[in-house]
Amino acid sequence: MKRFRQLVIPYLAWSLVMLLLPMVLIAFYSFIKAGNSIVHFQLTLDNYLRFFTDRDFLIILWRSLAIALKTTGICLLLGYPIAYVISRSSEKVQQRLILAITLPMWINMLVRTYAWIGLLSAGGPVEWVLNLLHIPHGELLYTETAVLIGMVYNFLPFMILQIQTSLAKMDRSLLEAASDLGANGWQAFRKVTLPLSLPGVVSGITLVFLPAVSAFFIPKLLGGGQYFLIGNVIENQFITVGEWNFGSAISMIMAVLMMLLMMLVRRLDARGGRK
Amino acid sequence: MNFGNMNRETSRRRPAGTPGHPRNLRRTPKGSLPGNILMALTLLFFYLPILFMVVFSFNSSKSLTSFTGFSLRWYETMLKSHGMMESLYVTIIVAVVATVISTIAGTITAIGMSYSRKLIRRYITQVNDLPMMNPEIVTAIGLMLLFITFNVERGFMTLLLAHIAFCIPYVMLSITPRLRQLDPNLADAAMDLGATPWQTLTKVIVPQIWPAILSGALVAFTMSFDDFIISYFSTGGGVKNLSIMVYTMSKRVNPSINAISTLVVLFITLGVVLMNVVPWLREKYQKRHPKITEGEFRKRPRRWPWILLAALVVLASMFGLRKGLVSDRPYAGQTLHIYLPGEYVGENFISGFEELTGATVVADNFDSNEQMYIKVANGDSYDVLIPSDYMIERLIQEDRLQKLDKTKLETAMSLLVDDTLNLNYDPGNEYSVPYFWGSVGIVYDKTKVSEADLEKEGFSIFLDPRYKGDIYLYDSERDSFMMALKALGYSMNTKDESQINEAYNWLLECVRTMDPEIVTDEIIDNMAQGRKALGLIYSGDAAYVMAENDNMGYYLPKEGSNLWCDAMVIPKNARNVDLAMAFIDYTCQYEAAYDNSSYVGYTSPNREVMEELSETDFAGINAYLPRTGYDKDEVFEFDENVRRLIADQFSRVKIAASNAD
Repeated sequence: MKRFRQLVIPYLAWSLVMLLLPMVLIAFYSFIKAGNSIVHFQLTLDNYLRFFTDRDFLIILWRSLAIALKTTGICLLLGYPIAYVISRSSEKVQQRLILAITLPMWINMLVRTYAWIGLLSAGGPVEWVLNLLHIPHGELLYTETAVLIGMVYNFLPFMILQIQTSLAKMDRSLLEAASDLGANGWQAFRKVTLPLSLPGVVSGITLVFLPAVSAFFIPKLLGGGQYFLIGNVIENQFITVGEWNFGSAISMIMAVLMMLLMMLVRRLDARGGRK
Repeated sequence: MNFGNMNRETSRRRPAGTPGHPRNLRRTPKGSLPGNILMALTLLFFYLPILFMVVFSFNSSKSLTSFTGFSLRWYETMLKSHGMMESLYVTIIVAVVATVISTIAGTITAIGMSYSRKLIRRYITQVNDLPMMNPEIVTAIGLMLLFITFNVERGFMTLLLAHIAFCIPYVMLSITPRLRQLDPNLADAAMDLGATPWQTLTKVIVPQIWPAILSGALVAFTMSFDDFIISYFSTGGGVKNLSIMVYTMSKRVNPSINAISTLVVLFITLGVVLMNVVPWLREKYQKRHPKITEGEFRKRPRRWPWILLAALVVLASMFGLRKGLVSDRPYAGQTLHIYLPGEYVGENFISGFEELTGATVVADNFDSNEQMYIKVANGDSYDVLIPSDYMIERLIQEDRLQKLDKTKLETAMSLLVDDTLNLNYDPGNEYSVPYFWGSVGIVYDKTKVSEADLEKEGFSIFLDPRYKGDIYLYDSERDSFMMALKALGYSMNTKDESQINEAYNWLLECVRTMDPEIVTDEIIDNMAQGRKALGLIYSGDAAYVMAENDNMGYYLPKEGSNLWCDAMVIPKNARNVDLAMAFIDYTCQYEAAYDNSSYVGYTSPNREVMEELSETDFAGINAYLPRTGYDKDEVFEFDENVRRLIADQFSRVKIAASNAD
C-alpha cells in the first residue's frame, strides 16, 4: 500500500518544525553568548561552566533530585499496597476504584494543588487534625513538607495505575500453582507476584520521578517564594531575569540528566526481566 | 505530568481477566478490613481537597479555613470577572480544537506510518518521544524559543499550535498498536474488490481502529484541558487558560478560584459519568436487541461528524453571543489589551469601562516590572501598560513608547495631584499618566515590634536577630536593593559598584541569617492575619493591611525610602490607540479612581479621591498619604549597567535564600 505512505509527509514537516527544531534551538541558545542573535553568534561553554561552578545551583539540583526521590519512594510505598488491594477485588469493584482514582486526575492540576493551600494553612483542617492527635508540628504551608504532600497528591495516581495494570495482567493460575507446590502466602507474593509486577513498578517510578524533578508550580504554590527547585530556576531565568542562554543551558542539563536516568532505569528493567 | 493518561487508557482496554481460569481463588475475601481501610483512606486523600474546595466556594467570608455561612458571592465575583470566564472559554476551546485537529492528524499519520519504511517509522517514533519523555518544562521552553526566534507573536494561535504539537504523539501512541494488529492484507483486499483508496481508508481501516481513535482523542482532550507548563510559556497577550489564571491569581486569598474550580469539577464529573453511563446503557440496549451488535461499529463513524459539528456550532454561538451583546456604544466590538500588576484594579473598574465604551478589556497581570519588560521587549502587543517610574524611563530610552496626545487629556490631567506629575522619569508627562503612587516602607505588628526600635534601626531591623523567621521580604530586585542601600546610608540610585556590592552582601546576610520569606502579593493577606512581625511592603498594600487589622502599623524609615509612581503608557506597537486614550481618560476620572483606590488601598493620584479617602476609608492610616517633600526620599532612575548587576545579584540572593537552612 505504497499510496498510504504519502500520508506521513505533512507530519514529517510538522514534526521537524514543532518538535525537533525547538530542541535544536535550546541546544543552540545554550552554547552561544548572551545577547547574540541567531545570525551573528559566538560559541561558548560559559553557560554550562556557570552552572557547574556554582555551589548554589548544584545544591538546588541536588534538592530537586532528592525531593523527586522522596516523592517516588513515598508513592511506591503507598501505591503498591493500594494497587494490590485494588487488583484483588472483583472485576466490577476494580473498575469502579480505578475510575474513582482517575477522576481527580481529570480535574485541573493547578486547581487541585491550589486546594491544598487552604487545607495546609494556619488554622486549617490538617493542623486541626494534627492538634487533635497531639502531633507536634510547625507551620505547614510554605515548607518542604507541603511541597512533598503536593507532589505525592499529584503523582500518586500514576504509580497506582501502573502497578495495578501489571498486577491485573497477571495470570492467577500461577498463584495456585505456587500454593500447590507448597508456597505460603508471603512466599507466593515474593516469588511470583512481586517479580511479575516489576514492569509496572518501573514505569510507575518513571512516571512519578520525571515530572517531580521538573515541577515548578507545586513548589511555588506550596513552598513559597523562596523555595527553589530546578524548575523554578529555569522559570526565573526565562520569565524574570531574561537570561535565555543560561536558562537554556540549565534546561539542557536537565534534559540530558533525565535521559541518562531513563536509560539506566530501562537497562535495570531489562536485566530484571531476564532473570 | 501526563504520562499516566496513556497507560490509563491501555489499562481500561485491558482484557477483562483471563476467562476460563477459575479466577480469584486466593483473593482476599470481600471486606478484608485492612484493605478496606486503606482504600477508604486513599479515597479520602484524593477527594478531601476537592470536597474542601467545593465547600469553601460557598463560604460567605474570605477565609479559607473557617466556614462562616452559605453564600453565592464568590460565584457572583467569578461571573463578573472577565479574566476568569475568559480563561474557561480559552481552556475549553483550545482543548476541543486541539483534540479535533490532533486526532485527525494523528490518525492520518499513524495510518501512513504503518505503511512506511522502517527508517521513517523510527524517526517518527523517536521524535514523538520528545514531548513525552522530556521534562515538560523543556518542551515548553523549546516552543517558546521557537516562537520568539521566528517572531511569531505569542497568543491564542501559538497556544493552540503548542497544544496540537504535544497532543498528536499521544493520539498516535494510542492508535499505532491497534494498527499493528490489523491484517496488512486488509487494505489490499479492499482495493482488489474495487474500493478507492479513500473508501479503503474511511470504510475499512478507520472503522477497525475506531475505539483506539476515540481513546486517543480522549487522552488528547485531558492533556490539553489539564496543561499548565507548556501553555504558560507559549501564550501571550493576556490569553490565559484556567491553569495560568489560577497560577497568577493564587497569591491572594481568592475564594472565587474555588468557585470556578467547583464549576470545573462539576463539568468533569458530568463528562466522566456520561462516558461511563452511555456504554452501559448501550450494552443494555444491545442485550435487548442483539441483532445490531455488528452494525454498531460501522454506524458510529458516520454519526461522529454530526456530533462534532453540533459541538462546533455550540461553541461558535457561545462566541457569537458574547460578540452579539455589542450595541451602538462608541467602541463597541473593539478590544483593549492592558498589562498591569496583579491585584491593581477596583471591583467595578474594568466592567465600568466596558459598559461605558462597549469595548472588551483583556487584562494581563505581571509580578514585576522586569517580567513585564521581557514580554514587551519580545514583541507582545498591548494597548496600555502600567509600569513603574524607572521602567517607564527605560522604555522611553529604548524608544518603545509613543507620545500621548495631550490635548485629549487636558481635563483628565488637571484632576491629578501635582506631586505625581513632572517627575524625572518623564518630564512634562509626554508619555505617561499616573495611575497609583506611594512609598515603600515597613509593615509591622505593633504587638511584637515597638516603634522605638524602628526609629533606632530603620531598615536594619531586617537584620535584627530578634525577628529571625518572623519577616517578609518583597520579591523585587529594585525594592530589595533600595532597602539595603538605604540601610547602608547610600543613595538608592547609586551607580557605584562597590556600594551595590555592599548592598548585595547586606541582602545575602539577611537571607542567610534571618530566614525571611520572600513573597509578592502573598504578604497582603498574611500580614492582615498577623502571620509575621515585619515586612517590606508597598504603602498601598500596607493601607489595605491596616484597614483589615488594627494591630498593624506602617513605618517609613528616616534613612529615606522609595517614592514611586506607577503610570499608564502606550507602547509603540499598540493596536488601538484611541481606545487606550479613552481608557487613560476614564481612569483619571473621579468614579474610576475612587473605585480603584478604595478597593485596592493604593493612593490615587486624583486629588479629590485622595483627599476624600484619606478622611473616610483610610482615616488614621498613615500608609495611605505618601510622605512628600522629604529630601532623603528618592524616585528610581534607570541605568542599564546597574540593572544588569542587581538583576543577577538578586537572583543569587533568592537562590541563597532557598539554600539557607
